[in-house]
Amino acid sequence: MSTTSQKHRDFVGEPMGDKPVTALSGIGEILGKKLEQQGFDKAFVVLGQFLLLKKDSEIFVEWLKDASGANSRQAGSCAQCLREWCDSFL
Amino acid sequence: MPLFEEDPAHLSKSRLKSDLVAHSVALPPAQSKKDVYVELHLKHIDQKNAADFSSDEEDQVRDVADKEEDAEDAEIPDPSGLTDDDLKAALLEHGFKAGPIVASTRAVYEKKLRKLLQPDGQDHLNGAEKGVVYSDSEEEDEEEEEGSQGAKEETVERSDQTQQESSQNGDFFYPQCFLPSSRLVPSGSQSVMSNGCSFSSQAFSITQMVEEMESRRSLSVSTDTERELNGSNVQEHWSRSNRLDMPIVDKHSMKNQSLYYTPKASPYKWGMKLSQEPVKDTFKDMFPDTQATPTGIHATRRKPIKGAAGRPIQYVYPDTPASPTTQERRAVERRLVPIQIQILVFLIVVVLLYLIYACVEDNSFSPFVALLESLNQGSDGEEGLLLPAETQDTPALSGQE
Repeated sequence: MSTTSQKHRDFVGEPMGDKPVTALSGIGEILGKKLEQQGFDKAFVVLGQFLLLKKDSEIFVEWLKDASGANSRQAGSCAQCLREWCDSFL
Repeated sequence: MPLFEEDPAHLSKSRLKSDLVAHSVALPPAQSKKDVYVELHLKHIDQKNAADFSSDEEDQVRDVADKEEDAEDAEIPDPSGLTDDDLKAALLEHGFKAGPIVASTRAVYEKKLRKLLQPDGQDHLNGAEKGVVYSDSEEEDEEEEEGSQGAKEETVERSDQTQQESSQNGDFFYPQCFLPSSRLVPSGSQSVMSNGCSFSSQAFSITQMVEEMESRRSLSVSTDTERELNGSNVQEHWSRSNRLDMPIVDKHSMKNQSLYYTPKASPYKWGMKLSQEPVKDTFKDMFPDTQATPTGIHATRRKPIKGAAGRPIQYVYPDTPASPTTQERRAVERRLVPIQIQILVFLIVVVLLYLIYACVEDNSFSPFVALLESLNQGSDGEEGLLLPAETQDTPALSGQE
């Protein structure tokens, strides 16, 4: 069983609504700023990208690393967070 | 050679466009494939360059080049030069079903296609995909491998540590007392020692089992004691060294054998050795006078060969440790005595119940009294106690009647 952070649990536990992109697990201030610069200012926009990539975690991780400079761990955490959110609410 | 200098297939679409425009070639429709641009490029631009050379050769070369390039284009397209649909098709050719290719997703899919294309010419497709898939998790895999190795190392270390700790515990306990050490020594070593006793009872020839048991114990203690005893008596040494590991045994093998068969081992030494046995309290009871190893000799209990070299059997060793079967037998035997008591109690209860039944069944007392008398006649010992009770009951019952 993978250990999930509190941030992960907070995000996955409820509809994301208008949460900022920094609410995503693995996305901190710096990565959040980079994403906002590219137009991904809200979590649901990143969700949109995740869905556009057909919820493919690997491709999403690739994209996130390219877009924000995240490392494998952070991107993986974000992907897992979004995947679980989708499993619950999508 | 223009073909070597600029291969149209390797140029980007925009570059091809610009070249065509530069050579004033009519551009194909905007959404044409790159191949079209390449062909046009080859046709017109190369034709211009071909003017310097023999046209036949150029044409032949160009045709071949065109074919090659056409063939190559199918295999090595430039992901960035493809249209969205082409990119999607290319990805599908490589077994990857891509989602919608829009502005934000295009870059990722181009990257994916490049990754798929690169190892294509060399490795198998699956291998390439796997490489792509696991590329991000390489660190994790390495970490996991390292972790697993670390875990293995840790387990090995832990096992070593436990061995060392047990050996250290043995070290720690041996010098102080024998009995407390016997209790505090880990059960494994206790069993080892008990096994050692049993083994020693059978044959004293340096058995491998003893050596194994000894190996479980603290080697450092043995080595320490060895160091201490190096200058001291060899006789004191032999008893200890018998249980040492192979190398140590080898050292003292000669001494051991010679010493073992010599009756020179003084009773005091035997007593010391035996008293040093921390296994059971009987030894302390048997040898209360023996001191805690003053010399630090820690010898395991060892039964001498009866009658060997005229050595009398001076010490009675406790019985071999009970195996589970013997323990069960003992437990059963323990119950044998109570069983008789149980039978006795059962009989008493039966008699009582019978009496009560008779009393209930028969309202008249004459048969009851007859019963009592018969019972009294039957067993005097047991029923003697009941007589007064019965006699008291009968008057009461008679009173009620």
